Amino acid sequence: MSHAMEPAPRIAVDPITTEVIGSALSSITEEMGEALVRASYSTNIKERRDCSTALFNTRGDALCQAEHIPMHLGSFIGILPHILQRHAVADMRPGDVFVGNDAYEGGGTHLPDIVLAEPIFVDGAMVAWAVNTAHHADFADRGHAHIYQEGLRIPPIRLYRAGVLQTDVQELILLNCQVPRERLSDLRAQMAANRLGIERVTALCAKYGRDTVLAAGDALLDYAERKMRAGIAAFPDGTYRFSDVFDNPEIDRDLPMSCAITIAGDSMHLHFESPDQVRAGLNMVRTALLSTVYYAVKAVVDPTVLPNAGLARPLSVTAREGSVLNCAHPAAVNGRVSTCQRVVDLIFGALAQVVPERVVAACNGAVASATFVGENPQDRSIWVYLETIGGGSGARATKDGLDGVHVHMTNTSNLPVEALEIEYPLTLLRYELVDGSGGAGRQRGGMGLRRVYRAEAPCRLRLDGARLRSAPWGLEGGRPGGMGRFAFGPGVAPFQHGSGFLEAGQTVEIVTPGAGGYGPPEARDPAAVARDIAERRIDAETARGLYGAAAMGR
Amino acid sequence: MAWRIGVDSGGTFTDVCLFDEQSGRVAVWKVSSTPDDPSRGIAQGVEEGVAHVGTVPAEIGYLGHGTTVGTNALIQHRGARTGLITTDGFRDLLEIGRQKRPDLYDLQADAPPPLVPRDLRLEVPERIRHDGTVETPLDEDAVRAAARALREAGVAAVAICFLYGFVRTEHEAAARRIVAEECPEAFVCTGHEIAPEFREFERISTTVVNAYLGPVMHGYIGRLGARLAGLGLRVAPHITQSNGGVIGFDRASRQAVRTVLSGPSTGVVAAQAIGGMAGIADLITFDMGGTSTDVALLRGGVCRLTNEAIVHGYPIKAPMLDIHTVGAGGGSIAYVDNGGLLKVGPRSAGAFPGPVCYDTGNTEPTVTDANLVLQTLNPTHLLGGRMAVRQDLAKAAIGHLAEQLGLTPMATAQGIVSVVTANMARAIRVISVQRGYDPRDYTLAAFGGAGPLHAARLAKELDIARILVPRHPGILCAMGLLLTDVRADFAATRLLTLADAARPAIEDVFAGLAAEAAAWFAEAAVGPAERRVQRAVDMRYAGQNYELSVPVPDGPITGSVLDGLAAGFADAHRRMYGFVAEGEPVQLVTFRIEASGLVPKAAFRPRPERAPDASAAIVGRREVWLPEADGFLSCPLYDRDRLDSGHRIAGPAIVEQMDATTVILPGMTARVEPHLNLILELT
Repeated sequence: MSHAMEPAPRIAVDPITTEVIGSALSSITEEMGEALVRASYSTNIKERRDCSTALFNTRGDALCQAEHIPMHLGSFIGILPHILQRHAVADMRPGDVFVGNDAYEGGGTHLPDIVLAEPIFVDGAMVAWAVNTAHHADFADRGHAHIYQEGLRIPPIRLYRAGVLQTDVQELILLNCQVPRERLSDLRAQMAANRLGIERVTALCAKYGRDTVLAAGDALLDYAERKMRAGIAAFPDGTYRFSDVFDNPEIDRDLPMSCAITIAGDSMHLHFESPDQVRAGLNMVRTALLSTVYYAVKAVVDPTVLPNAGLARPLSVTAREGSVLNCAHPAAVNGRVSTCQRVVDLIFGALAQVVPERVVAACNGAVASATFVGENPQDRSIWVYLETIGGGSGARATKDGLDGVHVHMTNTSNLPVEALEIEYPLTLLRYELVDGSGGAGRQRGGMGLRRVYRAEAPCRLRLDGARLRSAPWGLEGGRPGGMGRFAFGPGVAPFQHGSGFLEAGQTVEIVTPGAGGYGPPEARDPAAVARDIAERRIDAETARGLYGAAAMGR
Repeated sequence: MAWRIGVDSGGTFTDVCLFDEQSGRVAVWKVSSTPDDPSRGIAQGVEEGVAHVGTVPAEIGYLGHGTTVGTNALIQHRGARTGLITTDGFRDLLEIGRQKRPDLYDLQADAPPPLVPRDLRLEVPERIRHDGTVETPLDEDAVRAAARALREAGVAAVAICFLYGFVRTEHEAAARRIVAEECPEAFVCTGHEIAPEFREFERISTTVVNAYLGPVMHGYIGRLGARLAGLGLRVAPHITQSNGGVIGFDRASRQAVRTVLSGPSTGVVAAQAIGGMAGIADLITFDMGGTSTDVALLRGGVCRLTNEAIVHGYPIKAPMLDIHTVGAGGGSIAYVDNGGLLKVGPRSAGAFPGPVCYDTGNTEPTVTDANLVLQTLNPTHLLGGRMAVRQDLAKAAIGHLAEQLGLTPMATAQGIVSVVTANMARAIRVISVQRGYDPRDYTLAAFGGAGPLHAARLAKELDIARILVPRHPGILCAMGLLLTDVRADFAATRLLTLADAARPAIEDVFAGLAAEAAAWFAEAAVGPAERRVQRAVDMRYAGQNYELSVPVPDGPITGSVLDGLAAGFADAHRRMYGFVAEGEPVQLVTFRIEASGLVPKAAFRPRPERAPDASAAIVGRREVWLPEADGFLSCPLYDRDRLDSGHRIAGPAIVEQMDATTVILPGMTARVEPHLNLILELT
């Protein structure tokens, strides 16, 4: 791979300046994220914040990622190598903007995550890249046997050339989208985010000097690596294994998966086994696997390690090519995020044998989602509404799990009911925690969520998720959390593999999984059991059965 | 009616600042706070302060008050037992929030507990649609049953918040009436009154915080009002809001949520005014009191104002200055943790029992005790000699800690100061470095009772080259109440498309807001000539959910005003996001009026510059323990009241005054600028 430019000159930067520049880079990415959210039109971005922003150095290392969605790191680490493979750095000009989404040629992890990457030039030399990805709620109501059914594949190509919009490229993209007005506006918001990043990085270079900023960037990668290595070194050496199954509405059988984590000194190797890739949208490309590993290991080893490429240096990852967890062309990948959640479960399950106090019991293990697609009767234009729903978070060694939150690889907001109902012909009838769904234990697992919708106009609906047939496990004697399920109101025709149709007035109920408990239920503080009963998080009879007479406090 | 009074009541001291409108005289008074009922200390401070300047309460023309009662109740979860009545199917919204976890990577992080437990969140059948039509009428019997259940559960406050309750208010109004009948003792508030804005979770959260704090503020304000009236005060007192503006007592108890940053906001306003006097516009404020410390960043003399923020973990929709608070101050207790490390705070000895040296029963050493042992603080008397302290007790307490640590008592005392300095530096990084501002580009404005004592060490830690110590640092918040115009903000949400047809509706919304502002002007006794009103509207492209604020000129809403709004929005959008969406419809969302009443302000006249020799202000010498010397060093002791414009002091030196002590470290010089503020600089 050709390098964009020579590595930053090795000049010494004092620790205070490094810290200030590091914090500035992180606040730049956060500011880029705010600009993206605020300028956007689609509910998935403006309210649900399903987007991420980052800065990269010219070697393609992540300097900093905003704290939005860990999953999006996969697209980021993938796209720059692909850009640099296809395009000569010498031909790049200020104002060139590359767009891409393809899982095999564009560095993406699924097609709706469209990445915009723009090189940053200071004094005529390329110093960094401003990159962002937004999940465009489009490419809906498609097939998932292979990637050609899943939407438009975009290799990394120029959307802007030296600041000039390539309208032919944009028109090709928009014609392949079901909601082109939103796509256009969201692409503009993505442009705004990168433009802000470029402005801020340029100002930073003006203040501290380009070389100092680049050297500080390198120092920050080294710092993250050092912290990561120090954390891993504190774990006992050895190989730790864990297996689980992955279930999903798209397929009828459960897929067995396992991992083996080998800790040797200050490095960690993770190996994953899974079946051959499947004709369903739940395969993971390698960058999806890497971003999942980076998230999970950082969370367990040291959550304060800076989210940059340095943290990956002590880690090595293997999985058989052509398997579900490291799929090859032309496998479909649209729903890969639920699979990623199971990979986190595998990693936590294995590390629980070494550092049980640092991991949590199995979380809801899914990204439950609902995609509604309908036609506006006036002009036959299409509307698409995508939402993902949180669930329980696993119990911890000394604390209960969190109720009704997004876990691990995703962290999107819900859409306010008042925004949902104004924008789409849908009514939300209930939105609540699911009683009894938190796994029993000395520490209770988190509770799942229930959402009940009523369609106000005919629409297609696709439901996705996992842990519908396998419960989120507990740790150290903790009991499993409740499973997820979909339930349909009167008159709804049976759904096939999660897809179906709602007539106006029909209802559907989504229940997301809870999470596993931690420690034996008998050891739970009777006052906590009493509080759960008073608050109806569990009914008294079930509590008596699970926790025993002693824990009932009488 | 010549005197204007500002009263700031913190966790440790209550400060009273008095300003004579006629003579321009400024006087200050300080008493110990009475945390069990802060109104007692305030009344005592006002009574003594008024006597001190030789007047009587009846001569007071204005009394403004900044309080931490609300924020303390929120931090310590000591608000009222509160119930929530909401739309069927949505009682858990308060707890679910936006379904995001509290920290992306930290698996041990916890969300703040919901202020209303699940069993006190009750649902009633009713449903309003987004267009204001009623799908399900309010089940009034269910509301009555819920109100009774809450009464039996012993709640002191009830929040009522329905979906779209701000679009059509009658369900919330009816529920309010029923709850008031069933729970006549309870504090009741509704979503449409407290935060009439779109996005149900943030509105419910704001309404619940208001209910949670309502009874606390109501009780406090009631007691304070009665005490002040008992002293013979003739004017209606005011309370500062989180945005630095003031409201009347009655409104403050109904809208307690608007006062959560009441105390600290006055400090920012004051620092802004003092910075303006001294010609310094880029400031980081460092307001260190006995219990907590507030920091804020002023760029070009302006502190960012936000209409929504998360305060102590809870989303609040109300205008607020961007202030960061940490729970550490002079009264913070030092201890050795289970890992053998020295820690300071967040536990505080507060005003009572106070530091060990107060000799009121506390035996755990505080930051103040450490300073007393180091003799950066006067070892025998505080408050300008009014309060005797026992250095021997402080020494013994720190000695006990030193044994656990295996250090000398002096190294332990200095360690306490170092740890608390590092805590403060971290707080300042949050508002500067973490937002992309380099603290080295700013001047540290140090105030609060303990700010000037620690500012020099803190500035060194952050590489800040200049410190501003106001003339009266210990009572700056109280003074801030006298340095600013009285101000209030009014807002209403009405979704309109920017077009000629919207003109009557725009006029209508602004007329409503103007009426609210007029009522406030009357309440605040602002005369017609002193009234100022600024209008603005938050705008966006139809489809966006975040708005940009555009000023609206006075006068009728004509076609050309609309053209001006369109141009102003396009400019703002281009500046912010780099593009304009030609031809896309533009929406008007929230209409705002900022009403201010010009008031006579405490004016500090610049004094002619004198020769640099400040030796006439030296009142003695004191042995001060300095790590730079690894021992005691004899330092000159200056009386702040004798320092005059142009004087210069070379560190090490100590400057004492009634309300604060300023430490000037070796290698620093201080000069007195014409308004008698101290400017410390590294040499």
